[in-house]
Amino acid sequence: MSAEEQLRIATRQGPDRLIFELVGELDMASAASLRDAVGDARGVDVGVVVLDLRGLSFLDSTGLKAIFAARSVVIERSQRFAVTPGSAAVQRLLSLTRLDEHLETIETPDAVLA
Amino acid sequence: MDCAPDRGASLAWAGSAVSEVRAEDRDWAIALLVEAGSVLASSRDLTTTLDGVAGLTIPLLADLCVIDLRDESGSISELAVAAAEPGVASALEDLRRRFPLDADGEHPVARVIRTGRPELLADMGTDELDAFSQAPPHMEFMLGTGYRSVIIAPLVAAGHTLGALSTVRLAGGESYDEGDLVLVCELARRAALAIENAQLYTEAQTVEQRLEAVLRNLAEAITVVDEQGRTVFANQAALDLLKLDSPEQLTSAEPGATMSRFLVLDESGRELKLEEMPARRLFRGEPAEPLLVRNIVRATGEERWVIVRASPILDPDMGRMRYVANVFENVTPVKRAQLAEAFMAQASRVLASSMDYADTFRRIARLAAGELADWCAVDVLGENGALERVAVHHDDPSMLALAEELDRRYRPTLDEHTGVPEVIRTGEARIFNDITAEALATYARDEEHLRLLREMGARDVIIVPLAAPARTLGAITLVSSRTGRKLIDADLDVAVRLGRRAGTAVESARLYTERSRIARVLQRALLPDSLPEIPGLEIAASYRPVGELNEVGGDFYDVFECGDGGWMLVIGDVCGKGPEAASVTALARHTLRAVAMLEERPARMLELLHRTLRQQDPNGQMCTVCLVLVRALGGRAELTIALAGHPRPLLVGPDECARPVGDAGTVLGIVDPVTISEVREDLQGRQTLLLFTDGVPEAARARPELPLELDRLSARARELPLAGMLARIEQAAVASADGHPQDDIALLGLRIDGRARGLESSGR
Repeated sequence: MSAEEQLRIATRQGPDRLIFELVGELDMASAASLRDAVGDARGVDVGVVVLDLRGLSFLDSTGLKAIFAARSVVIERSQRFAVTPGSAAVQRLLSLTRLDEHLETIETPDAVLA
Repeated sequence: MDCAPDRGASLAWAGSAVSEVRAEDRDWAIALLVEAGSVLASSRDLTTTLDGVAGLTIPLLADLCVIDLRDESGSISELAVAAAEPGVASALEDLRRRFPLDADGEHPVARVIRTGRPELLADMGTDELDAFSQAPPHMEFMLGTGYRSVIIAPLVAAGHTLGALSTVRLAGGESYDEGDLVLVCELARRAALAIENAQLYTEAQTVEQRLEAVLRNLAEAITVVDEQGRTVFANQAALDLLKLDSPEQLTSAEPGATMSRFLVLDESGRELKLEEMPARRLFRGEPAEPLLVRNIVRATGEERWVIVRASPILDPDMGRMRYVANVFENVTPVKRAQLAEAFMAQASRVLASSMDYADTFRRIARLAAGELADWCAVDVLGENGALERVAVHHDDPSMLALAEELDRRYRPTLDEHTGVPEVIRTGEARIFNDITAEALATYARDEEHLRLLREMGARDVIIVPLAAPARTLGAITLVSSRTGRKLIDADLDVAVRLGRRAGTAVESARLYTERSRIARVLQRALLPDSLPEIPGLEIAASYRPVGELNEVGGDFYDVFECGDGGWMLVIGDVCGKGPEAASVTALARHTLRAVAMLEERPARMLELLHRTLRQQDPNGQMCTVCLVLVRALGGRAELTIALAGHPRPLLVGPDECARPVGDAGTVLGIVDPVTISEVREDLQGRQTLLLFTDGVPEAARARPELPLELDRLSARARELPLAGMLARIEQAAVASADGHPQDDIALLGLRIDGRARGLESSGR
């Protein structure tokens, strides 16, 4: 299975934000695609970057690292970084590692940030 | 149209012509026609023939005889002149040259050629002569020689008037009559047939010559064979292909003799018999498909790939097959390229099939001996700098034994100036063709060596380097014997490619093995050699790295003493694989051992490790860790559990439940600050504390319908000895991943020592 089949990333721009919709599995095989997608969006002038994790069926430690690498890039650009909640398994990993405490979570990608 | 005079007698055959002739003239008339027949049949050269015919009329039938022909352009020219007096003939020839007959004019010859009807001018006066005259000198000539009586008969064949035959009687002779006319017409008819035959023959000859010229110069080789198998024709390309100097070598050879000069094989290498060749099939009345054959010239070993096509040549009269034309298409370059590609593809498969290089070389030698030459040997440069024969192959076991003996007794040393040592030293491939007895004698070290070399019967030898990117590992030797095919430069090219590919493959295999060795050494540095003996406690670990030999895992565990009587159990997982992950693993393990000397509290130790990881690389080497500080308290143990992003350990038994213990803490190395708490638990007798890495629950990902229920699994296995319990869990995890877990699987188990339990219970 190629990384593309494993993880599809759709990029969408809202009024104040850039949304990356992740569908599939985010792990060692597909982490690079997320890094590339976020890297490619360097020049887009928005205040918020949202990773929409609702379509994510699997996440492992490498995928987790990739999400936080994306977060670092976004915060360095002085943008806000938010995610939508993923599947139960994804959320379990986020709470196991207590990384959920470091993520701004919104219910839907277009929801207003606190 | 016939050439009969006005009264219309049919003159189709000589007898009727002769019957019209006066009785006293019949004998010579018959003699004339018979003689004309033999003249006309005697030669195929037209001018000679017609000169003969004209000559026959002199002197009895004519004093002067002229045969004129109309050529393709329609103009008339004289072809033969005969006269009783020599001067007259040459004078007329001269006049015809100077004053050619006007084809459209009133000269009776022109008229007869136009109309196709004969003319008899029995007695000519000046007026009639005037009509003949083309010019005043012509008139003078006719008057001077005394033209008296003339017959002009058309030369008609197959309905075409080719020209005219004229006979002239001069002054003093008799006038012509109807009988003479008939005779001259008959003579003309026969001459016309002869002329036409001669023209057809000339034409046919020209066509044949042209055809033959075309055949001779065709790039494709063509031979024509008869039913007896004799070659009756061969063009230059055929001679080149068959390696002959002249067509006579072929046409004078006995049937089948030519074929015996070659080893003729089909595509699969089976020898073909003469009877299987397409030409023989055609003669037997069987269909003959084009046949691809491999020809090896027996004398020189030269090889050709040829497609043979046969077509029948039918006898026009009988419709019977008299000859068969063979067209040989030389497809050697195409076929050779095709075979080279197929060979390289096969070689690549062999090279990719195994990491065991000795086995790989044996298979390469077998392949090359089968496809390229008779022998193949592979020598490599050993670590001590000596040559080592790692593979040799020959289809014939006795020859193989010979090659082995030769190598055993006369293995070359690297300082020799030729052969394998030279190729290894220089890295340059060599080809030796037609090795002579003298060359062998020079090469041989002694009589016995020479005897063995002779017995090998090598004709051609190719030696190519086993070339890895940076060095030459050894050499591949290909040998063709006297009976096999010649090795040529094209084979050298294939062999060089083989040497390069094999060298690269073997070097990769060697590097792979080397890397695996390094990985194993490194892995040992990441894990304790053995677990310590802890009084009152039983401890066991199992570890199953993912992948084969060369991937250093990210999972680690450790057990070490810290502070007064405390023991630290460590299990962790560094995100990622390979050398980078390994360096983080080493860092984590040794950092924890170091901080344990300063800090007893597990949560604090993890915070310190986090700080170290962040210092090392702010963008994060992510690491999850579970620390359990154990204090054995005689029959039980006090546990202090701290987790950093790691799955909670299970406290199993003594009843059928397994309980996760500890509080979730922040994973290390990713984000600040980390929140890590400590939880205290008691480990009772008959309980097991089970620490594991996420490879264990994650293994079930391959089969989501069969989630690995670690808690139930461990509860069921709780009565097994500790090592057996861990083995059972590992087994189940591997099985749940369909045998191919994607992550390392590490397990660490802790129990109260049974003897300690026993002591306690007896103490009660």
